[in-house]
Formats: sequence, C-alpha cells, structure tokens
Amino acid sequence: QATTTDRAVGFGLVAFSLVLFVYYTLWIIVLPFIDSDHSIHQYFLPREYAVIIPVVAGLLLLLFIGVFIMIVMWKSRKPARKSD
Amino acid sequence: MTKLAQWLCILALLGSAWAALALSPAGLQLPVPLRQALLPLPIYLLVAFGCFSLATVGFRLATFNDCQEAAAELQDHIAMARADLRQRGLRFHPQ
Repeated sequence: QATTTDRAVGFGLVAFSLVLFVYYTLWIIVLPFIDSDHSIHQYFLPREYAVIIPVVAGLLLLLFIGVFIMIVMWKSRKPARKSD
Repeated sequence: MTKLAQWLCILALLGSAWAALALSPAGLQLPVPLRQALLPLPIYLLVAFGCFSLATVGFRLATFNDCQEAAAELQDHIAMARADLRQRGLRFHPQ
C-alpha cells in the first residue's frame, strides 16, 4: 500500500484534473450549443478567457522551468580553471 | 520513417483539416455554434491532454505500493558496497 500522503496527493490530483477537464469541456464544447439566455452561462467567463488563460498558464510554466534551469546551472558552475 | 516524422505527419494532417474547417474558405457555411466550438479546438486538445497526464501521474502516485522490505534490503546493499569500496581505498565525502 502506498503511504497515506501519497494516496491523498495522488487522488487529489486525479480529482482536480477531472474537475478541470469537465469544466473546460463544458466551456469550450457544450456552451456554444446552449441558448445565451440560459442561466448556466453565469458560471462561465466570456469565451476569450478560455483561450487566454491556458496560453498565459503555459507561458508561466515555461517561465518557471527556465528560471529553475537557470538557478541549477548557476549553482553548479565550477570556479574558472587556472591557465598554464 | 522515424517516429518523429510520423507524429509530424499526423499533426500536419489534423492541423490542416482544422484550418480548412475553421478559416471558412469559399462557400463552407457550418452552423454558428459548431464553428464557435471548433475554433479553440487545438488549445482544448492540449489542455485535455495535460489533464489526462496529470490524472495519470496522480493515479500512479496513489497506487504505487510501498515496498518496505525492498527499501531495507537496498539500504543494506548500499552499506555493504560503501564498506567494500572504503576498504579498497575509495574516499567518500559525507552524504
């Protein structure tokens, strides 16, 4: 059996990604087919955000990865070699 | 053909199909909701794939069983290897 924290984090991730997937699917695919005076539209932002938010999140992710690589490379640089 | 070339071909095919439908060339009139749902489709597929990978990682993390005996055995092996190497003259810096 995996440790309890592992199981909690793991199933939490599964639940989170499920919620995200369902919300995003409704937003992008289902909502255009629902009349604009239905009350469900109040739970969703305007459609432009369905594109802007993932793009911005992706750019932030790339930013963090780049910064992380920078930090690791900075820490692992050796002192300059003496020249003969 | 390499796997990369195969994936790129499939991607180009799907991409051109999407572009053909979404950029409404001469005469194609899809119903409006369909076009509205079609336009963000690449980003939707990307996000869906990201959700799927996150769920897979989470699920494997939750169901990967702890192996207590294997961990203890591994520590024993490490200790024996270190003792053996130290005996043969290799110096260890503190870990």
